[in-house]
Amino acid sequence: MTDTSLNAEAVSASANLSYWQLVRRRFFRNKYGMVGFFGCLFIILTAVFSGFIAPYGPETKDRTAIYSPPQSVHLFAPEGGLTRPYVMGFTEEMNLVTYEITFVPDETQQHPLALFVKGDPWTFLGMEFETRLIGTTDGSIVHFLGTDSLGRDVLSRMILGTRITLLMGFLVMVAACTIGTTVGVASGYFGGRFDMIVQRIVEFVKSFPDLPLYLALVAILPRRAEPMSIFIMFAAILVLLRWADLSRELRGKVISIRSMEYVRSAVAVGASDGRIIGRHIVPNTSSHIIVWATYQLPEVILLESFLSFLGVGVQAPMVSWGSMLNQVRDFQSFASAPWLMAPVGMIVISVLAFNAFGDGLRDAMDPYSND
Amino acid sequence: MTDPLLKIENVVVDFKTVTGKVNAVRGISYEVARGKTLAVVGESGSGKSVTARAIMSMLADNARVGADSKIWFDGEEISNFSELQMQRIRGNRISMIFQEPLTSLNPIYTVGDQVAEIIQVHRPMPKKEAKEEVLRLFKEVQLPDPEARLGQYPHEMSGGQRQRVMIAMALANKPDLLIADEPTTALDVTVQAEILTLLKDLQKSHNMAVILITHDLTVVEKTSDDVVVMRYGEVVERGVTREVFSNPQHPYTKHLLASEPKGRPGPLDPNAPVLMEAKDMRVAFTLAYGGLFSRKKTELVAVNNLNVTLRKGETLGIVGESGSGKTTLGMSMIRLQDANGGQILFDGKDISTLNRKELRPMRTRMQVVFQDPFSSLNPRMIIQQIIEEGLIVNGIGANAAEREEMVAKALEDVQMPREAMQRFPHEFSGGQRQRLAIARAIVLKPEFILLDEPTSALDLSIQAQIIDLLRDLREKHDLTYMFISHDLKVVKALCHNVIVMQHGNVVEAGPTAQVLETPQSEYTQRLVNAAFNVTAA
Repeated sequence: MTDTSLNAEAVSASANLSYWQLVRRRFFRNKYGMVGFFGCLFIILTAVFSGFIAPYGPETKDRTAIYSPPQSVHLFAPEGGLTRPYVMGFTEEMNLVTYEITFVPDETQQHPLALFVKGDPWTFLGMEFETRLIGTTDGSIVHFLGTDSLGRDVLSRMILGTRITLLMGFLVMVAACTIGTTVGVASGYFGGRFDMIVQRIVEFVKSFPDLPLYLALVAILPRRAEPMSIFIMFAAILVLLRWADLSRELRGKVISIRSMEYVRSAVAVGASDGRIIGRHIVPNTSSHIIVWATYQLPEVILLESFLSFLGVGVQAPMVSWGSMLNQVRDFQSFASAPWLMAPVGMIVISVLAFNAFGDGLRDAMDPYSND
Repeated sequence: MTDPLLKIENVVVDFKTVTGKVNAVRGISYEVARGKTLAVVGESGSGKSVTARAIMSMLADNARVGADSKIWFDGEEISNFSELQMQRIRGNRISMIFQEPLTSLNPIYTVGDQVAEIIQVHRPMPKKEAKEEVLRLFKEVQLPDPEARLGQYPHEMSGGQRQRVMIAMALANKPDLLIADEPTTALDVTVQAEILTLLKDLQKSHNMAVILITHDLTVVEKTSDDVVVMRYGEVVERGVTREVFSNPQHPYTKHLLASEPKGRPGPLDPNAPVLMEAKDMRVAFTLAYGGLFSRKKTELVAVNNLNVTLRKGETLGIVGESGSGKTTLGMSMIRLQDANGGQILFDGKDISTLNRKELRPMRTRMQVVFQDPFSSLNPRMIIQQIIEEGLIVNGIGANAAEREEMVAKALEDVQMPREAMQRFPHEFSGGQRQRLAIARAIVLKPEFILLDEPTSALDLSIQAQIIDLLRDLREKHDLTYMFISHDLKVVKALCHNVIVMQHGNVVEAGPTAQVLETPQSEYTQRLVNAAFNVTAA
C-alpha cells in the first residue's frame, strides 16, 4: 500500500501556474481581447502624454484661423514627385453675397512637417518641456483637424480632452468599485437585518430615474464654482448612482462563497470576520470586480460625453470630448464645421476598445474554461 | 463468443488546454457483445468516461480524437459518422446514464414530458401513446406510484428515483447498447444496490450490451462479465471478471483489489478520560412555506436530543443516510453551527454558551476536515498560506521561518512533499487535497478532529490510503476523532464505537464490531447489507 509508484496521484505533471498566469495565457490567445487591450493602451498613453502628442495647448487661439477646416497632409509636390510631408496654408476669401468666409488652400504656402519639433511649452510631473511630437519646421501653425469658433486647434483639444474624460472614467470606476465592494461584501457576509436594510437602500438608489436626476443634481451645483470642484461633484454624482449594481452582484457571490468549505474552515481555525473577508472572500471575487470595472469605464465615458454635450457636465476651461461636442449643438455649426465632430471618433474607439478588453478579460477569468 | 456489438480499436483522445496538450486516452481497445456487461474500471482521470463519450461523439470542443481511432457499432464504422447520423444513433440505439441524477434532468419540465420527448424524437407517435409508453417504462424501472410520477418535477423526487427516471429515459427506445457512467456513485449505499439490481434485470429482459463505468470494485465483481482496467488512458489488464479478480496479473490491478479499507482501529484505553461530551443536543431548522399571506412555519428537527460521549483517543463513527442529521450533529458539537439546546462539554468546560471570541482559544484544540476536497481549499492561496492560516490567526510561531517549519512538518505528517507548499490547490488530485486539508487541521496540534465524510468524494484505492493515514496520525498525535460517514466499510476499519442515526435520532449505538455483526434494528441491517453484500443478482 505504501508503494507510491502505484498510487494514481503520484504522477501529476501539472505545470506550476498560478491563477493569474493562467488568466494571462488565456487572454493572450484571445485576438479580439488583445485588439481591445492595445486600443486601451493607446488611449491611456494618449491621455498620459497628451502634452507631448498634442501640437498646441488647449487654449492656444489662432485668431487668423477661425472655423478653419482640416489641413490635409501632402506627400507629393505640386510639380510632381515625392517630397517630405507638408501642409498648405489657407487664403481667406469672402463670398460677397453671403459674407461667408471660405478657406482655400494656397499652393504657394508650403509648410514642411517634422517630428519632435520645438513648440509651446508643456509640463509633465512638474517638469517643463518644449518638444512636441509633430509640427512645422518653419514655425507656422497647422491644424490637422481644423479649428473651432475661437480658433483653437481641434486635434490638440481632443487629445488633451482624453485626460479629463479618462480621469472622470477612472475616478468614477474606482470610487464606485470601492463603495460597491464594501457594501456588497458586508451585506452578503453579515446577512440578516443589516443585509435587509442595505439591499432596500440599493433598491432605492436603483429605482431613481437617472437622467432627470443627473440634470437636476447638476443644476443645483453652484454656477460660479471652480471648474475643478464642479468636476469633482459631477464625478461624485455619477458614483452615487453607479455603485448599487456592483454591490448587489457581489452580495450574491459572497453569499455563495460564505458557505464554501474553505471559508468554514477559516472559521474553524478561529479567524476573525475581517480576516475572513479580506483573505478568503474578497480575493475570490476579484475577477468579478475587475471585469465589472472594465465594463464600467466605457459606460462612464459615454455618460460623461452625453451630459457634457448637454452642457451640464464638464465646464470650460476644462476640456473633455463631451464638452467639445457641445460646440456643435446647433445645426448651423454642424453644417459649416463638421470637423468639430472629431471627438465622436475617439469616443467610439475608446468604448469599443474597453468593451473588447472587458470581454477578453471575462473569458480569460472564467474558472471553468481550460481550453 | 458472438460477434461484438461494439468494438473500439486504438481510440486516442487529446485535450488542448492552456497549459498544453493532455493525452487523456492513449489507444484504448475493447469490445462488448449483446447481453454482456463490460465493466471499465479505473480511478478518476484514467480516461474511462472520456472513452465512453468518444463512442457517443459527445466530447468537449477542445478534444481531438486520433485519426487511427476506429469504432464499430453493429457492423458499421461510426467513428466517421456525421453529427446528423450520430443523432439518429444517440439515445436510440446507444444510450447513456450519467453519474449525477440531479443535474442530468431538466428542472423545469415534468419527468413524464422529458421521457416522452426522447421517445417522440426518435419514434414519432401521438402524445397519448407516448404517455402510455412512458408509464410502461416507469413501471419497468419499478418507480413507485408511476401514474403520479408522470406529472412530477425532478426536485420532487429522491436521488434514487431520479436515477430510475434516467434509466427509463435511456431505455425509452430499446437501445442495443447502454453506457452507464458511474450510475450509483452519487447515491446512498442502500439505494445503490437497488439500482444495480434493476440494471441487471433490465439487461436480461432487453438483451442489451452494457458498458458499466465505475471505480467501485464490489460493483464490478457482482455485476459484470468482462472487465477492462484502465490507468492513465491505457488498458493495463482485461479479461473475464471472475478470472481477473481471482488471479490479477498486472500490479496495478492487484493494488486496486487490495485497496478495500482494511484493518482495525488501534486499541483504546478503557480508562481514558472523557474528552468531549454532548448532552441533549437539539438542532432544528425553521422552514417557512406557503404564500405571502398564508405564511406557515414548520420545524425540521435535524438532531433530536442526542447524547454523545467521546473518550480521549477514541474514534467514534456516526453513520446514516443523507439527511439523517449526522453532519449537523458534528458541526454543532464543534460550534460551527448553532444548536437550539443542549450542553457541550470539552475537556470538562462547557463550550455551548461561549461566543465566537471566547471560543477562539478553543479552536486550535478542535479541528475539522470537510467532505469535498475541491471546495475546502481556497483556490487563490498557495498551500503554505492555506496551512499557515491557522497559525497566523492564533499567533502560533514566532516568525515566518518558524511557521514554515511547522507547515513542512504537517506536510510530512500527511506524506506530502515539502515542494507542495508553493503550489496552488488546483494542481493536486482529490486525494492529495484531502491530505492537505488534514495537514491544515493537524498543524494546530488539535486534540479532537471532526472528520465529515473525508473519504466519500475519493476513489476507492485513495480512500484506503487516507484511512491508513488517519489511523497512523491518531496514534502518532494521540488524536480523538469523530468520523461521519455513510460507508460502513470505512467505519469498520477506523472506528471503535459507532452511532447509527436516522431522521435525527439514534437508532443504534455501541462498539463497532457488535453493531456491524449483530445489527438490531432493521435500518442498520439494511445499511450493513448494502455495504458488505451488494446483492445484484
